[in-house]
Amino acid sequence: MSTISHTHPKAARHAVLASIGLLPAAIVVIAVVLAYIEPRFLSGQNLLNVLRGAALLMIVAVGQMLVLISRGFDLSVGAVMALASVVSASTMAAFGESLSPGMTSLLGILAGLGAGLLVGLCNGFCVAVLRITPFMVTLATASISGGVALLLTNGIPIYGLPKAFIALGRGSWLGLPAAVYAAAVVVALTVYIQRRTALGVHLYATGGNPHAARVSGLPVLRAQIGVYAASSLLAALAALLLTAQLGSGQGSLGEGMALKSIGAAVIAGVSLQGGVGLAHRVAVGALFMLLLNNAMDLLRIESKAQTIVMGLFIVLVVAVDAYRAKGKSA
Amino acid sequence: MSTTPTSLSMASRPRRILDFLAHYLFWLLAPVLLLVLALVEPRIASSRNLLNLVTQSSYLAVFASAQMLVILIRGFDLSLGSTVSLISVLTALALTTGLAEAGLPTFWLIAAGVGVGLLAGASVGVFNGFCTAILRVNPFIVTLGSLGIAFGVASMASGGRPVFDLPEAFSEALYSGQVLGLSAPVWIALVLCLALQLMLSRTVFGRSLYLIGSNPRAAEVAGVPVARYVFITYVLASLVVAVGAMMLTGRTSSGEPNLGGSLLLPSIAAAVVGGISLQGGTGGVGNAVMGALFISVLSNGMNLIEVDGYLQDVILGLVILVALYLDRFRKYR
Repeated sequence: MSTISHTHPKAARHAVLASIGLLPAAIVVIAVVLAYIEPRFLSGQNLLNVLRGAALLMIVAVGQMLVLISRGFDLSVGAVMALASVVSASTMAAFGESLSPGMTSLLGILAGLGAGLLVGLCNGFCVAVLRITPFMVTLATASISGGVALLLTNGIPIYGLPKAFIALGRGSWLGLPAAVYAAAVVVALTVYIQRRTALGVHLYATGGNPHAARVSGLPVLRAQIGVYAASSLLAALAALLLTAQLGSGQGSLGEGMALKSIGAAVIAGVSLQGGVGLAHRVAVGALFMLLLNNAMDLLRIESKAQTIVMGLFIVLVVAVDAYRAKGKSA
Repeated sequence: MSTTPTSLSMASRPRRILDFLAHYLFWLLAPVLLLVLALVEPRIASSRNLLNLVTQSSYLAVFASAQMLVILIRGFDLSLGSTVSLISVLTALALTTGLAEAGLPTFWLIAAGVGVGLLAGASVGVFNGFCTAILRVNPFIVTLGSLGIAFGVASMASGGRPVFDLPEAFSEALYSGQVLGLSAPVWIALVLCLALQLMLSRTVFGRSLYLIGSNPRAAEVAGVPVARYVFITYVLASLVVAVGAMMLTGRTSSGEPNLGGSLLLPSIAAAVVGGISLQGGTGGVGNAVMGALFISVLSNGMNLIEVDGYLQDVILGLVILVALYLDRFRKYR
């Protein structure tokens, strides 16, 4: 515990650079090898699927990254996705007959995002104001929001969504699905905030050394609540895109998303000790995770075996990171 | 430490009441809850249900004790649920491999099954302990990883289906057997909890865990082999989980790949409700047992008055948040 953050910032940056340097190369290698072994990989449909999945994971993982930078954890992203999906779908199903499709979609989207925001604010409040350990808070709120989502649906998917909304998930513009554009906007906006605004600097300062940040008069409380709100809001956004793509609201949406989003963030060099992490790298990390998934799918590796590989892989990545941090501080 | 009593006696009265409540609120609430539930649904107070309640809480007491061990050293075990599934499946497979047909006496057959279960538990513990203590990886990530790994292995080994045809003697030894009017699970949990408490309070290893939990740096300086003890604690915790998993397997009389799916949250809830601080260094088996009793009363009551299962998840989450909030007001002595 005491070895945290004695690393020189420059050294830390180098460590991040070193770990990210391999990722794009690894993606290219996997893609080439996969295309060689299994030509189906290069089919337009498969590439589109990978891209869409990666885009959704990017959106969630960027939120997870913000929380990790603040030294937190968000284990509730998956359950928030389920809740947002169910809430938006039931809203749309309820108003579908009395309002125009456009209005219904808008109302559904707002309801879904609102539900996400509510959970996020609750997480932020418990962590920042009540000072409860982040992973416990989000574990508890995951249980609560997952429970509410299943309670609302009784485990049955909700159909009857307006066509305009479904088109959002299934349609494509210039050959790319909406999720890709949404992910691009989210990543670009986050990079801009991180690099160019005071808010971004506050965030890093809060995570790097919360005490120093507080003493220097930075709005630590607001930053902490903000990251949880942002994380849940982004999870809700991903859930809406997925709901539109599936054409129904589902209480089981987002299973395993906590593990995947943390995985995408840590392989992109986001430190669990807080204060380190950049959105565009996390985007590359998400692409890598999806490619790995797709490779295992195409090679017909059972989905159960895939969870083993993912689990081992994430522990390994963090172990390497911890080892490097130890070497730097020694 | 010597200043604590004075500062306590000087603390204002509301502060002291708050402190008392923070420590014992759920201990006081357990009988109240039982009473209220019994008024709503008289079946709850039947001696049959009460005995059933004690048996039910013995499983949770074992799992909460395991969780308590790692929380004591500022760790955490997210993999508890899927470890239970893994052990259940592997034990059941060992019991049904045909050793019985090969003419192995029943006693040795069961011993082999229990041995495999303990071994499976120990391997998860070695993985968790090695990554946490030696590689210094954050325990949440380690156990989040081993959660996925154990789940995957359990599903693959069983093909996703329950393993049936366990020898009857296994269920008898771990579930239905009765001694002095109490069933086997209660006895196993009692013996295990007593042994753990003795270890925590009477051995150098046990006492050191409190030091490691309250100040790892000081423990290091004081010459405690921190890494080794942390490693052993994770292995020990997984062994305790293994015992609980086999008790549950005896109850269902089959190896279930989904047995532990819903166990993680109650195990944590029981630990925090019982008053074990997540800051490490405080708590004992008594807290885990008390917490397990409370959670069991709660879920038993909710089942009998037919509260929706999904709503029970919501309530459990809220109980955890309240318990964690109270944790802030505890003064540790």
